[in-house]
Order: sequence, then structure tokens, then C-alpha cells
Amino acid sequence: MEERPTSVWGSTRFWRKSAGWVTGVSALLLIWLSADTVPQISMRSAEDLDAGKPMRVPPPTVINHKITYEFDARRGHEIPIIGEKEAFFGRNDYSEEEANALLTHGKLTVQAKNCMSCHTLLGNGGYYAPDLTKAWLDPAWSDQGPYMAMTGTTSREEAMAKFLMKPSTYPTHARRMPELGITEDEAKAVVAFLKHMASIDTNGFPRNFAKINGGVNAK
Amino acid sequence: MIDPFTDVFPSFFGMLNRGPMTLTIFLHSLIVLPMFFIYFSEKKKLQRGEPDD
Repeated sequence: MEERPTSVWGSTRFWRKSAGWVTGVSALLLIWLSADTVPQISMRSAEDLDAGKPMRVPPPTVINHKITYEFDARRGHEIPIIGEKEAFFGRNDYSEEEANALLTHGKLTVQAKNCMSCHTLLGNGGYYAPDLTKAWLDPAWSDQGPYMAMTGTTSREEAMAKFLMKPSTYPTHARRMPELGITEDEAKAVVAFLKHMASIDTNGFPRNFAKINGGVNAK
Repeated sequence: MIDPFTDVFPSFFGMLNRGPMTLTIFLHSLIVLPMFFIYFSEKKKLQRGEPDD
């Protein structure tokens, strides 16, 4: 049979098949990507932490440990390093249940006080106030920074908790944090929540947190 | 062109995240190349005189 000169671009069937292929494959890829991601972003158990297994999201008992933020030359960015035991509000023996209850209380407080109206957590939220993903690691809260002296405390967690209860008393930024009526228990829980969040391996997010002036390992 | 594997966990998508070209090559192989097949098969059908629906 003689082949007739023809154009495919006007064919409805061609466009239907192409659109079906692209949409179908993309949908399958997204489902596969989700299935691949979910186990990686799930919280690990306290046993995994004690065994020193690699993880992205440590268990709540990570609040019993010292967390540092160190440059990893292989990965090209800073990663949280979970170190030896360290007192958190005077204790380093929180059980998994206690730590989980503290973190949950902290998360509920963060939601109830609508922190994300101004702050970002893991990149989600408002862009008015600083990102809180690695707030725990901010050297401003260390004994080298101003907050401990301002709040008259001797530890990072106490300084953060005291600040949260009365933020307007400690003007540290041109944009002042409002009084949110956070109680002492809520403040402690929020600090535990922030400490746990800082221990999450976020592939170096927020980018350049460690490089900004005054930041961790600032050059 | 292909960077070393540095992800926390070994995974297929971690393998694709090894420089700017790796994901591109994968997606083009999976999505664009089969579209050439769709194009030419439809062209053959039209040349044989099959009606377009």
C-alpha cells in the first residue's frame, strides 16, 4: 500500500496517548517516591539510637543526648551529630514514654500558639521570624551567646524556656516576639520539641545556617 | 558528571540524586523516549489509513 504523507500532530489519538503516558508515569513515580521516602522520614526507636544506627529522625529519647552540628565533607553540608548523654532540665534519663509525652506536649503547644504564623519549622510556616529547624543549635543560646546571661540561666534549655515564657522581656531582635502566655511546663515541652527537631537530619537544611555570621562553625 | 553517593540510606531515588544529569537522563529515558514510539506508531497507523478517533 502506498504511504500517504501525513502529520501526526493533528491526531487526537496521539495526543491522548501521550498525555496518558506522561500523566500515568508521573503519577506512578510520585507514588514510588512517597513509598521510598516514608520509611526514611519515620521516627526511629530508642534501641536504634542506642545501637548508633544511621537515621534521619531520631526517637524522642534524643533529648537525653548532646547534639552538635558538624560539617560532613563527604555530604558537603553540616549534619546533626548525636553525642554523649547530656542533662536536659537536670535529667538525662527520660524514658521513651516520658520523652514522647514531652515532645507531643511541645508539638501541641507549638500548634496551639500558632508559632508557624511567624516562624518556619522544617521550612513550613511564615517568613517573618527565624526558621526554628535548628534553633536548638544556635550558638546564641550557648554559653558563648547573649541569651543565657540575659535570662540569668546556666543552660541552653533553661535560657530558651525562660525566653519563651516572657519573650518581650528579652528584646534580642528588631522584630519582637509577642507574649503568648506560655506556661513553664509548655515552655519546657516546646524546648524539648525544638531539641528533637534540631537532631533531624535535613540534608543541610536550612542551607547556610552554619555559615551565617554568628552561626554554628561561622567562618 | 556523576557525583558520589552521599545519601543517609541507599535507595533508588538516592542513586538518581547524584548530580544534575542523573535525574534528567532517567526521566528522559522513562518518559520522553517512549513518546517517540507513540509518535511513530501513530504515524504508521495514519499512513495505513486507519481513522483517527
